[in-house]
Amino acid sequence: MANVEYRGMNLVIPENDSEWREHFKLARQRRKLVLRKCAKCGLMRYPPSHGCPWCPSQEWSWQEVSGGGHIYSYEVVHHAIQPGFKEWTPYTVALVELDEQRGAPTADEALRIIANVVTREFRPEPEANIAIGKRVRVVFQEIGEDWALPQVSLTDEPPVGRVWSFPG
Amino acid sequence: MAGLKDKYCIVGVGETEYSRDSRRSTRAMAVEAIRKAMDDAGLAGAQVDGMMSYQSGDSTPAPWISGDLGMRLNFYMDVFGGGSSTEALVGLAIGAIEAGMCNTVALFRSMNGYSDFRIGGTGARAAQPVRGLDLAQVPFGMRSAGQNFAPTFMRHMYEYGTTSEQVAAVRVAHSKHASQNPKAFLKDRVTVADVVGSRWIVKPLHLLDCCLETDNATALIVTSAERARDLKRKPAVIMGVAGRVNKPRLDFHWAHGPISRVAGHYAKDIVFGQAGIRPEDVNVTGSYDAFTFTTMLQLEEYGFCKKGEGGAYVASGIIELGGKRPNNTSGGHLCEGYTHGMSMVIENVRQLRGTVDDYCPGAAEGKHSYDYAKGKCRQVKDARITMNLGWAMPPTGSALILHN
Repeated sequence: MANVEYRGMNLVIPENDSEWREHFKLARQRRKLVLRKCAKCGLMRYPPSHGCPWCPSQEWSWQEVSGGGHIYSYEVVHHAIQPGFKEWTPYTVALVELDEQRGAPTADEALRIIANVVTREFRPEPEANIAIGKRVRVVFQEIGEDWALPQVSLTDEPPVGRVWSFPG
Repeated sequence: MAGLKDKYCIVGVGETEYSRDSRRSTRAMAVEAIRKAMDDAGLAGAQVDGMMSYQSGDSTPAPWISGDLGMRLNFYMDVFGGGSSTEALVGLAIGAIEAGMCNTVALFRSMNGYSDFRIGGTGARAAQPVRGLDLAQVPFGMRSAGQNFAPTFMRHMYEYGTTSEQVAAVRVAHSKHASQNPKAFLKDRVTVADVVGSRWIVKPLHLLDCCLETDNATALIVTSAERARDLKRKPAVIMGVAGRVNKPRLDFHWAHGPISRVAGHYAKDIVFGQAGIRPEDVNVTGSYDAFTFTTMLQLEEYGFCKKGEGGAYVASGIIELGGKRPNNTSGGHLCEGYTHGMSMVIENVRQLRGTVDDYCPGAAEGKHSYDYAKGKCRQVKDARITMNLGWAMPPTGSALILHN
């Protein structure tokens, strides 16, 4: 059983939960975001799961992706719920759309992940810098021997689509 | 429920006080709420033979309380879940009766949602280990309902230009309604400026965009129209129900957009199809107002306005008492108290009876002033058809249409 304390939370991966154990372990070892790719139709999916959402296959392999993407939506937490996040407020939780497989297999679908937008020092990026459309890159926050959390940092690449930040 | 329209009814409703300090067990509160619903219907313990509840490890199961109510059950089921469960369980109760498993079903939700197991996620909930699919969100500080829903709200603002001031009108409307509800936990009326001036919880949500956390139990009783004829009250007749309808990719709904679309998009054809009516036929709505935004999203998804125009719609006054189609006339989860959805169904049943428990002296006899000033009336004149819009999360919702 992988068991990591992070920000006062007890993150638990039982021995039989291979989908998450390998996901976080490969993130730590390779410093790459790895997703499950269907052996039959070739489409990737996240979170790691056991059946392809689009075809009947249960065969898959781990596939590295570039880690590039943009902020699709976000929120800024000012009132932390978990005690370990209080010293981090205000922090951004972003819904990040990855560069691979955008608009596939249908226009409404994409590979998206949840991550915090962090600085090089793994501190929360100031909220004034956050906007929908801004480019980000996955970075890896090591939180245990076999465990890295994929987070994202802003890049200086041109944005994707209209740039918009919450006016409040 | 093809062919079951008008064959089943809600015949009794009841609830306990809304507080933040019940000093009672969920068992004690559930017994009180169900007994009130039975008395409301004129049913004795021997006449109720089914019981269902919903909870999330924070309540009392049916077998612990049926004895306290003099019941011998032919059917019970305690399901896991919160919002959107009420409407789904009404449908399941119809199914159990239709299958011949039982005759009359009491539904309840009992929770010390403030004093014990805070529904906002602090305390006991925040201390739970994080495993399974929760690993996709919780390690990033995304745990509470507000945190789980906020990117949906933000994207709606991006796509449609919806503003904080527009959705604040939901809180304003519900606070007005609560000021005419003696049971409401918060009876003070607020303004748009109060809402957008309140402190940030998780942008785009201010404190007053978020609902209350309260202690209470709620109950209602479902039976056939045939049995309802012999009971005390004018029944609220079930025209259509949709339960826990989902968007695609429920494991991670962000993967299948548009993320500003919510489950009502998929539920509306089921429930309106059964009822054989259109949105414009509905007189009163009861939306799941966990947040101001959830009301706006549901009203537009069920077709009360066009998709994307929900902000302007809720800010137009239509959803206030005296408006064309009032929403959450009790004050709802934002102002009356938080019950995981059942209280809004209870309110609509009372609206259809014409005996809403407002401050009118003759309310119990159906005598109302229709003066919607603070501390006065909250009965909708000639309410014929009501609709509940249940919400669990952006990808899961329920709906229920009733008439008198």
